[in-house]
This record gives sequence, structure tokens and C-alpha cells, in this order.
Amino acid sequence: MKNKLYLVLIFIFLIIMVINIPVFAHKVNIFAYVEGDRIYTESYFNDGKKCIDSKIEVFDNQGNKLLEGLTDEEGVFSFEVPPEDVIEGDLKIVLTASMGHRAEYTISTGELGDTISVGSAKEEFEEPVSVISPEISSLDLKEIQSLIEDTLDKKLELIMREIKKSQEDKISLTEIIGGIGYIFGIFGIIAYFLSRKR
Amino acid sequence: MHISEGILSAPVLITGAGLTATAVGYSLKKMEHKEVPKVAILSSVFFVASLIHVPLGPSSVHLILNGVIGLLLGWPAFPAILVALALQGVIFQFGGITTLGVNTFNMALPAIICFYLFNRGIKGANNFIALILAFVCGFLAVLLSGIMVAAALVFTGEPFIQIAKLVLIAHLPVMILEGVLTVFCIGFLRKVKPEILNI
Repeated sequence: MKNKLYLVLIFIFLIIMVINIPVFAHKVNIFAYVEGDRIYTESYFNDGKKCIDSKIEVFDNQGNKLLEGLTDEEGVFSFEVPPEDVIEGDLKIVLTASMGHRAEYTISTGELGDTISVGSAKEEFEEPVSVISPEISSLDLKEIQSLIEDTLDKKLELIMREIKKSQEDKISLTEIIGGIGYIFGIFGIIAYFLSRKR
Repeated sequence: MHISEGILSAPVLITGAGLTATAVGYSLKKMEHKEVPKVAILSSVFFVASLIHVPLGPSSVHLILNGVIGLLLGWPAFPAILVALALQGVIFQFGGITTLGVNTFNMALPAIICFYLFNRGIKGANNFIALILAFVCGFLAVLLSGIMVAAALVFTGEPFIQIAKLVLIAHLPVMILEGVLTVFCIGFLRKVKPEILNI
């Protein structure tokens, strides 16, 4: 009886050790977003460490490789949005980190389309505005445009970070206990079949 | 140590799955009825151990404990590790379902090799030698797993020596840590519950 108690104690101790570690290793994540005419990707292990010098490859939805590159010291890799005629459908960004870790992220045409439509909207707007207020030259408009973009980038950065955080997988106690429960269940079934064999 | 989905080529995946299926089938057939609770507990230990990570340079590694599991279980280490890895894949997205066979084989085969190499030694009368062997066992199990991961990755086209070096350097602290943990585990069991070791 005393010995069994020891085993239970070791088990509890192991679980407590796990709970005290807030983040976990052994998975890589990649997160990508469109900013202006570039696509930025950030790669990190799921304990928050950046993936340095990891290979990033970009594919279209036909599986053709468009480009590839390495992440920098911040785990960031950025590239220009490929011209519209090159893209067929969504862009798939694949991260291959060391030791067999791999993750992918898909940028939908919707996200890419936004930047393209902003570009065309700018041109449409220029003329009517200059008709209403002739003192605003097109140069001013461009400045305003870039100012708005800068501010938006700054404001959106926070939201982007939040989204990124929510994508990071935190392992909860429920999942751990649940997993252990499954294991006992599975071996319960095995024990059942073994006992029927006899 | 968990190889993610979409890295290995189909032949490697199929070979891994086939080898694992055979080994699991064999050990389930061989498994004694009264062994099942022990297998279940050690399977949960393996499941939880992978969540304890060791921060290290640009990457991070985690405990594997396949040495201890092999020593205590022998052949049933295969189903134990398979079940734990399957759940890690489904719940935490470690590794993957298609790579389950390869990953199980990479971690369970060293466990069984260690069982055959050290099973006698750690039961010996000499406590000191038993503990030294326990350390070697924990160390070697991770080392072998690392070599097997590197071997599996060779077929993706990367040069073996380069990956092997990377995997082994990354896991060196884990090897030492696992060696020490195995010493504590075996030392403890020898004192408190020798019947688990079948002494």
C-alpha cells in the first residue's frame, strides 16, 4: 500500500512539473500578414523562441514554388506580393525548421486582394476629390495616404500581435488530464481483450 | 524528436508504419494480462514527459524517457509509446498522424535495444554498477533515437552527417538529463519497489 502511494506521488509530481511550465516546445508556428506591398512572415517555436535561419518556401495553390528564403535573427522573412498574374488562388507559405519541424500558413486571395483593391481605389478617388477641393494636390493625397497607412500599421500591429498570441497553442491542464484519461481507457480496452482471450 | 507531417517521403512513412504495426502486433500478443496497468502508467509518463522542455540555443528539446520505459516494459514499450504519441499528435499537434509509425519506431526501438542491453545489469546485486548502467541506458536511448531521426530525414535529401550532428548536439543535454533521471528512477525502484524490476 505504501509503495503504491509512492507511485501516485511521483505521478502527481510529474503533472505539477508540467503545469509550472507555461509554454511548451516541439512545434513550430508560422504567422504571415500582408503589409503594404510586402508579405511578412514570423516563425517561432511554440515556446516563443524565434526560428533563425529556417527555410521559408512560398507556393501557389497549384503547388508551384514561387520563391524561397531564410528567416533572419528575429525569425522574420518578408517578400514582395507576387504580381497578380502569377498568383493562382491562395498563397501557401511553408516553414521548414531544423530536425524535422514543419509548419505552413495560407494567405487567402482575400487578404492579398485587399492591398490590390486599395491601390486601385486610390486612383479612383484622386480625381473626384481634386475636383471638389482643387487646393489639395495629388501629392498631398499621397502623403495623406501614406500617413493613414503608417497610423493604421501602428494601430494594427497590436491587433496582429494579439491574433498571433491567440494562435500560439498553450497546453491546458484539461488536455493533459484528458490525454492521460484516454491512455487509461485505451489500455482498459486492451486489458479487456486480453482477458477474453484467456 | 517528433517529425512533423509533410516532411518525409511516402516510402519512409510506409516502412515506418509497417515496422511499427508488426512490432506492436507482436508485443500485444506477447503481453501478459497483469502487465497492462504498468504499460498504461508508463504510457502516460511518456505522454507527459514530452511536455517538459529544456530550452537550448535556437531550438528547444524535451524529455523522452524512452530509456526508462524500455527498461521497465521491454516489448510492451511499443504499444505504450504508440498510444502516447497518437494522443500527443491529436491533442497537441506534436508530430502527426501520418508520421506516427516512423516516430513510434524511432523512439520505441531504442527502448527495446536498451531493454536487452541493460535489463540484466540493472538488476545486479552491485548497486553502484546498476546505477552506472542506468545512466548509460538513459543516455544511449536518446542517442539512438537521434540517430534514427537523422536517418529518417536523410531520405528528404539533406546530408546525413549534417542532420545527425544537429540532432545529436541539440539532444546532448537531454541525453545527460535522461541519464541522470534514469539513475534516480532505477535507484528509487531498487530500494522501494524492486518487484517492478522483476528482481
